[in-house]
Amino acid sequence: MTVGGLMNEKTNKLKWHVLFIITIGLISAGIYSASQTINYKWQWHLVLPYIIDTSPIDIIAQEDANAAVNADGVITLTFDNGEPSRVISGADQVLISDGDLIFEGDLLARKEGIRSGVLIDGLYMTLKISVISLLFSIIIGLIAALMRISDNPFSKNLSVLYIEIIRGTPLLVQIFIVYFFLGTIFDLDRFTAGVVALSVFTGAYVAEILRSGIQSISAGQMEAARSLGMTYTKAMTYVILPQAFKRTLPPMAGQLINLIKDSSLVSVISITDLTKAGREVVSGSFATFEVWFTVAALYLVLTSTLSWGIQRIEKRLANNDR
Amino acid sequence: MTDKQKYTGNDMIVTNDVDKIYPNGCHALKKVTTNIQRGEVVVIIGPSGSGKSTYLRTLNQLETISSGEIIVDGVKMYADDTNINKLRENIGMVFQSFNLFPHLSVRENVMLAPLKVAGRSKADVISEAEVLLTRVGLAEKMDIYPNQLSGGQQQRVAIARALAMKPDMMLFDEPTSALDPEMVGEVLDVMKSLAAEGMTMVVVTHEMGFANEVADRVLFMEDGVLLVDDIPENIFGKVTNHVRLQKFLSNIR
Repeated sequence: MTVGGLMNEKTNKLKWHVLFIITIGLISAGIYSASQTINYKWQWHLVLPYIIDTSPIDIIAQEDANAAVNADGVITLTFDNGEPSRVISGADQVLISDGDLIFEGDLLARKEGIRSGVLIDGLYMTLKISVISLLFSIIIGLIAALMRISDNPFSKNLSVLYIEIIRGTPLLVQIFIVYFFLGTIFDLDRFTAGVVALSVFTGAYVAEILRSGIQSISAGQMEAARSLGMTYTKAMTYVILPQAFKRTLPPMAGQLINLIKDSSLVSVISITDLTKAGREVVSGSFATFEVWFTVAALYLVLTSTLSWGIQRIEKRLANNDR
Repeated sequence: MTDKQKYTGNDMIVTNDVDKIYPNGCHALKKVTTNIQRGEVVVIIGPSGSGKSTYLRTLNQLETISSGEIIVDGVKMYADDTNINKLRENIGMVFQSFNLFPHLSVRENVMLAPLKVAGRSKADVISEAEVLLTRVGLAEKMDIYPNQLSGGQQQRVAIARALAMKPDMMLFDEPTSALDPEMVGEVLDVMKSLAAEGMTMVVVTHEMGFANEVADRVLFMEDGVLLVDDIPENIFGKVTNHVRLQKFLSNIR
């Protein structure tokens, strides 16, 4: 190809890039003007306190006491019942005066501070429930996959039954069953019930992914390993599974991203994950549109970080062999 | 005939009336009976589908048999108390398609079984792997991965990997059939040096030159039947009185 041809191809590509940016701009403008037609007033600043909470922290009396306040704003509480007195220092705004009689629940002072907002707390809960469920779903999936490919009809049927039931019923229904049925029998708290439902659900999909990965490794690998005197377990551990895991990394990434998104359903059993936090913030701020866009963006941060991480692992492994 | 007399006379592999019928009804082995002695090099030839690979694979139980008896180094392979994994440690195997472990480096391929199966110390295994890979001429390739090697090199690594378990016998399943012609020689050379050291070897191959030069005995199989069991001189000599063998040999020449 001539230099001119290369240049042409470059300008041609640039044209499409420009068109892409213009299209995205038009869509954004469309969304904005559509919201104008219903007189929606965008108030993004209302969302900020739910991400980073800078409001002063209230210091509240735990029990009845006599208060002494010195010139530096240090509060000393002395109690009638002979408990050692309590000193509160570092308050930015003292709301009582020296010699006041304090009752339980009284607001004593306020302190400046930066805390994570409700949405970030929800994001943390989503992350926590996803990571724990991820670990369990891989363990469950691995066991189910190995049972699925075993020659033993008992293991095989059990695994097929599990996979079919889980894949054939909605996750939302499974969450309700785990929480209301199993949760009642085994006295599970919400969080445990959420983790159980998510891991059992994702485990069925992980099992199918791993099974196809294991079966894609040529039979010669198992034969070579066995001919060296390895037991089936050792051959699986050192030869088959490392190759199968690597080969299934792309579909596995997709499934784990699904897990993060599916975790939003645990909000129905009152786990304050990102979605539940979003609902709470909407009812508090009435900035419906802004909050849900923010929640979506936070989910996107989680999922794209995960897929970026898995791509890195894939690249690292690709350096070794095919 | 004097060749055989140099051996100790004790049998390494005994196969009596071995029959193999696949679930689909295919009768792959029919009453195969032969003994392979310690230090003997036996080459199995025959047309494809003759059961020669199947027979070889029954010798380390990669294929099970339907009836008959296989005794390896005095151990009955199908006895209830036989630990097949223990038995296989003593039987090296080399495959047509190499079957190297692609996720491990050349060195790790050789080291895996001694470490995880034999449980030898890491320092010993490292130095043994270096000795073995030097022996097959791949000392400078130890840290690369199998897919960066030519077929001939991969097969030599596969031989080193099998030798790493220090087996008393080696099975070769068409070790040169998947190789480009110019790489056949390097693999056969390694096998010849093994034979010269007195390794017991059972080799399924189409390399008649190798069979003629290295084999102590040649088995000719057809349709699952062991038809001819003789020294190479009688097989590759000017006249063989066996019609089917003659036809097979004239076809591949």
